[in-house]
Amino acid sequence: MSDVVLDVHSATKTFGGLKAVNDLSFQIHAGEIVSLIGPNGSGKTTTFNLISGVYEPDSGDVLLRGESIAGLRPDQVYARGISRTFQMLRLFSNMSVMENVLVGMHGRTQANIIDCMFHTPRMRREEEVCVEKARAILAQFPGRFPESRHDQPASSLSYANRRRLEIARALAGEPKLLLLDEPVAGMNPMESMEVMQQIRDLKEAGHTILMIEHDMKVIMGASDRVIAMDHGVKLAEGAPKDVANDPAVVEAYLGRRGADTAS
Amino acid sequence: MAVLDRMNSMFRRAPRWTYIALALAFALIFPVLEQYGVIETLWLRLGTRTLVYVLLAVGLNLVLGETGLLHLGYVAFFAVGAYTTASLSSPRLGYHWNFWVIIALAMLLSMLFGFFIGLPTLRLRGDYLAIVTLAFGEITRITFNNWESVTNGPGGIPGIYAPNLFGWVVDKPGEFFYLLLAAVIVVVWLLNNIKTSRIGRAWNALREDEIASHHSGVRPLQAKLLAVVLSSGVAGLAGAIFAYYQQFINPTYFLFMQSTIVVCMVVLGGMGSIPGAVIGAVVLDTTPELIRQLFTKWLPDAVGADFLPGVQTALQQDFDRYRMLIFGLAIVLMVIFRPEGLLPNKLWRREVHEDDPRDQANTRQHMFDAEKGAQDLEA
Repeated sequence: MSDVVLDVHSATKTFGGLKAVNDLSFQIHAGEIVSLIGPNGSGKTTTFNLISGVYEPDSGDVLLRGESIAGLRPDQVYARGISRTFQMLRLFSNMSVMENVLVGMHGRTQANIIDCMFHTPRMRREEEVCVEKARAILAQFPGRFPESRHDQPASSLSYANRRRLEIARALAGEPKLLLLDEPVAGMNPMESMEVMQQIRDLKEAGHTILMIEHDMKVIMGASDRVIAMDHGVKLAEGAPKDVANDPAVVEAYLGRRGADTAS
Repeated sequence: MAVLDRMNSMFRRAPRWTYIALALAFALIFPVLEQYGVIETLWLRLGTRTLVYVLLAVGLNLVLGETGLLHLGYVAFFAVGAYTTASLSSPRLGYHWNFWVIIALAMLLSMLFGFFIGLPTLRLRGDYLAIVTLAFGEITRITFNNWESVTNGPGGIPGIYAPNLFGWVVDKPGEFFYLLLAAVIVVVWLLNNIKTSRIGRAWNALREDEIASHHSGVRPLQAKLLAVVLSSGVAGLAGAIFAYYQQFINPTYFLFMQSTIVVCMVVLGGMGSIPGAVIGAVVLDTTPELIRQLFTKWLPDAVGADFLPGVQTALQQDFDRYRMLIFGLAIVLMVIFRPEGLLPNKLWRREVHEDDPRDQANTRQHMFDAEKGAQDLEA
């Protein structure tokens, strides 16, 4: 078996007359960090939504480890092993830090309604295991989630920590593929660098990551490969340096005259 | 409101079980007080009715507080439970079924009813859900009002037999009080267990952010249905016991106003908090009666018979009209001064008090970090 984790195969999604994603194909291999870049409206988030089950592709297919996941609901995609974060933070603000991570394990736990009603030993055991796992996940963000913060509401965290908590929640699903939608959006340069390091650490820990990002430093520093999109089409794919110097990519960002001046 | 805050922090400092034990002890001796003439039967009757509301509020809290669905037809399930009892344990249709069978059936029927109403409506969000559930609640009442062959229409069903629990015939207010208290204890215990499990967390997650919870493996429709079905079962149970206690029911017990009152109880007590729902029910159900007694009895007794003659007669004659006025006022005051409810869920407080100094400290710290970061970068 090859080490292809995700295979997007000529996926197309149209909204009315607009082809938001047009015949897009790419593959992601195990242990890779791939960045999806492109100007606003180029179809990056639609691609994420196609992968994570928000939309079903009009044509083409999305395969996770060889199995089609196109058309599955988000909870089913999650169960197959894809967790995601959101461009606009979507935390459970009135729930504690710990609870946020525990919700991320929802699809991985089995306790049924009877277990939950009577707190059966089976349910308690499962709960203990989950809490232990959640502690371990939060500990992957050194110094950011000390024990004393575990019972604080998520809304009390700083912005950067909320972003981290969202990643922690996604990790709780034990994903085969982690989708990060602009993980450093709105962060200051220092925080961005820290998150970048964390993303690298996640790779070291064996995670496969596809991220949408705009911050060039993070893209250059973290990704193994970059896929550039514009108008729903893949413009270029390859090593970060190569893609950044690709004339088509420069043109998409700066326009034709801008590209001429730059070269 | 400072008093409430202090009570709240006191409440949190002392171990929770002391308060539960105190409340339970009070509830246990309450009917005894009536027996020895310490309080009038009126208060025991009121207390019994309050317990019915406690069941309803705790049940609705599941949907409204935990899952965040504005369900305005809750009284329909209460009605289904009540009519189950009335039909199967009265001379009306000539049945006299066993108490336990009726209770089980009442819960089952109201849960089924909840399921079939929930299946189409729970796909809707926010305002739409509120309107549709409101309509279903009214349709249910109108159906009971017109289904003469079974329900005897507006005439209602009289002469409901007293329940027989393994030889214990429950027919005095005090006995109903204990029966309802037992129901409340069991229901609260079970619901609190669910609340602190993965299912309860899934409900809370749905309330906070449906999309994110869906992407965390929660199936929104399934989880919402479960909440609605369980809370319908609680309402059915409350209705079944209520019909036994009342011995007579007709559709006017199940007006839309009842749904509203239960919503008010949950909101006033503090959404997503079981002690809050209990307190909300107790406060909203007993305050009007306390006020009536105050103006028609206690004050006149203390000050003299002709104290505020106009107010006195008005309150004596049609107090129910003023009840709603007081409700409205109470809710408005709560929204202004204590939007999180009387005994809020501890995490919920933050959301409604955005000027919480702890949050500001965080924001300032964050801004400071950001500035420092920028300086580092320049340097």
